Amino acid sequence: MVTDSPVHSSSSEDFAAFLDVELDSKSSGSSSNAEKAGNEHHSDSVASSSPDEEEAEDDDSELENKRVKRSKVETAEIVEDDRGATSIASLEQNSKASSSKEICTHPGSFGTMCIVCGKMLDEESGVTFGYIHKGLRLGNDEIVRLRNTDIKNLLCHKKLYLILDLDHTLLNSTQLMHMTPDEEYLKSQTDSLQDVSKGSLFMLSFMHMMTKLRPFVRTFLKEASQMFEMYIYTMGDRAYALEMAKLLDPGREYFNAKVISRDDGTQRHQKGLDVVLGQESAVLILDDTENAWMKHKDNLILMERYHFFASSCHQFGFNCKSLSELKSDENESEGALASILKVLRKIHHIFFEESEENLEGRDVRQVLKTVRKDVLEGCKIVFSRVFPTQFPADNHHLWRMAEQLGATCSTELDTSVTHVVSKDAGTEKSRWALKHNKFLVHPGWIEATNYFWQKQPEESFSVNQTKNE
Amino acid sequence: MQLHPRFFGRNLRENIVSKLMKDVEGTCSGRHGFVVAITGIENIGKGLIRDGTGFVTFPVKYQCVVFRPFKGEILEAVVTMVNKMGFFAEAGPVQIFVSNHLIPDDMEFQSGDMPNYTTSDGSVKIQKDSEVRLKIIGTRVDATEIFCIGTIKDDFLGVINDPANA
Repeated sequence: MVTDSPVHSSSSEDFAAFLDVELDSKSSGSSSNAEKAGNEHHSDSVASSSPDEEEAEDDDSELENKRVKRSKVETAEIVEDDRGATSIASLEQNSKASSSKEICTHPGSFGTMCIVCGKMLDEESGVTFGYIHKGLRLGNDEIVRLRNTDIKNLLCHKKLYLILDLDHTLLNSTQLMHMTPDEEYLKSQTDSLQDVSKGSLFMLSFMHMMTKLRPFVRTFLKEASQMFEMYIYTMGDRAYALEMAKLLDPGREYFNAKVISRDDGTQRHQKGLDVVLGQESAVLILDDTENAWMKHKDNLILMERYHFFASSCHQFGFNCKSLSELKSDENESEGALASILKVLRKIHHIFFEESEENLEGRDVRQVLKTVRKDVLEGCKIVFSRVFPTQFPADNHHLWRMAEQLGATCSTELDTSVTHVVSKDAGTEKSRWALKHNKFLVHPGWIEATNYFWQKQPEESFSVNQTKNE
Repeated sequence: MQLHPRFFGRNLRENIVSKLMKDVEGTCSGRHGFVVAITGIENIGKGLIRDGTGFVTFPVKYQCVVFRPFKGEILEAVVTMVNKMGFFAEAGPVQIFVSNHLIPDDMEFQSGDMPNYTTSDGSVKIQKDSEVRLKIIGTRVDATEIFCIGTIKDDFLGVINDPANA
């Protein structure tokens, strides 16, 4: 039986017939039925037809059900027989299809191996994601795919992306050696590094640095994390960025593997959203440097710079006393972060509650634009002695800033003008403003309005007063 | 094995062995993988004095336990990080990445402060510190590190111990 196959096949035929007889007489359960069906499968259709006849004679109603099953098996078998040749062909096709599936598109790599098939890849393609894990690279198609799946997930949770800058936005750091004598007192006031969640002034002696967190930053992060998935994106190096992330987020709740430093960027001196796994239409950026985000200005919310230490003031060319030297600080409840948080809330609300379009079609950049346009709605501004005479007025950054804030700008004076912006109270236009009881404000008024997203009280920016500052 | 002359003397052999252990254990070689522990010294050859320095080089033959994952090997690993691209796991010194292409299709990524992959019925969850059984489909051995690509998209692979339920 083992030695030659013909004997084997005939014996199995016999065995099937034998089984059928046995089973028919015994009115078997379903399990043995299945076993028999399996046996039948091996035998050819001629063999299986004979027990069927046998069974037809049998008029036991209990077997009715079984017979139906059997005939099903049989038809399936016949079909298989008929298509014997074609099924082999289709099998071949299948194997071809599966082999073509095996030709992997290499969507990304980890330590130069493809993340899907494990093959070694020769060329380094795609964008590095070193901030997530060392040695990880992803191809563009994969990034698009991840963004698409992620955005759906995120919108379900009513969240958007928020990218935060560190220096001058959330905190201010200085080298210890750059501290002025007036700041020496700070060294005795530092908070302990054991429990960073409460403090705001830290001495990182191993990095030779002192860091001051911006007032309100903890509340800000807590509130913003409800509405946004947050990233840190800084021009500092990796070690610094991670250290700051530890101070800001001791519980590692917000920025887990989402700290991007200059080592991760794809372009020098530029920040780009290409390393962020978020759809551009859902990203908001909070940064104090507009020039770093040349390609993504529409996503940017410009922050007023936070200068706590004297060295940071000098770096940006201010000769005034720093906050640290004056022993003061930004107002906690009315500072820049608090007012930006309000803006963020508003944008989030409009995006999710008021927009008519379906979720996927919405664009946070549009929302940002409309919110910005509301700020100086209805103001008509005339500039006086702000731009150089030969300078095309409508190209000046203040002009454009005012227009983005929703104001109309003009070069001619008429009764509809509401504000005259001037550095000098002595110009013709300034005198006209005083005479006709219009607001005469310093250019700083527009800048402050731009930072706080709220029309600032004109009185505190009157021209004479700002001169003294 | 290079040795400073101050180690010479009665304990020369011991000094060579202890220096060998210190220098070799825990390192990684591209050919053999991670050296876990030295189990025995086969022989220590004749020293050769280096010109000019006084250092002596001894050829040492030794046996050791090495760890090197192979393609197709099944490993148990601890998840270290979960994100939308997949998850990273560690088996001792080996870093393994399982991309979301190689996670069963019925497991979906859930973001949040504890990101995880969960089946639709919520019965199986992969998150940080979960233990998973995975199959290695690619390895790369560096001078100091071993990277692997793993998959859990196969029978009998996946979570073996969930810290959340333990």
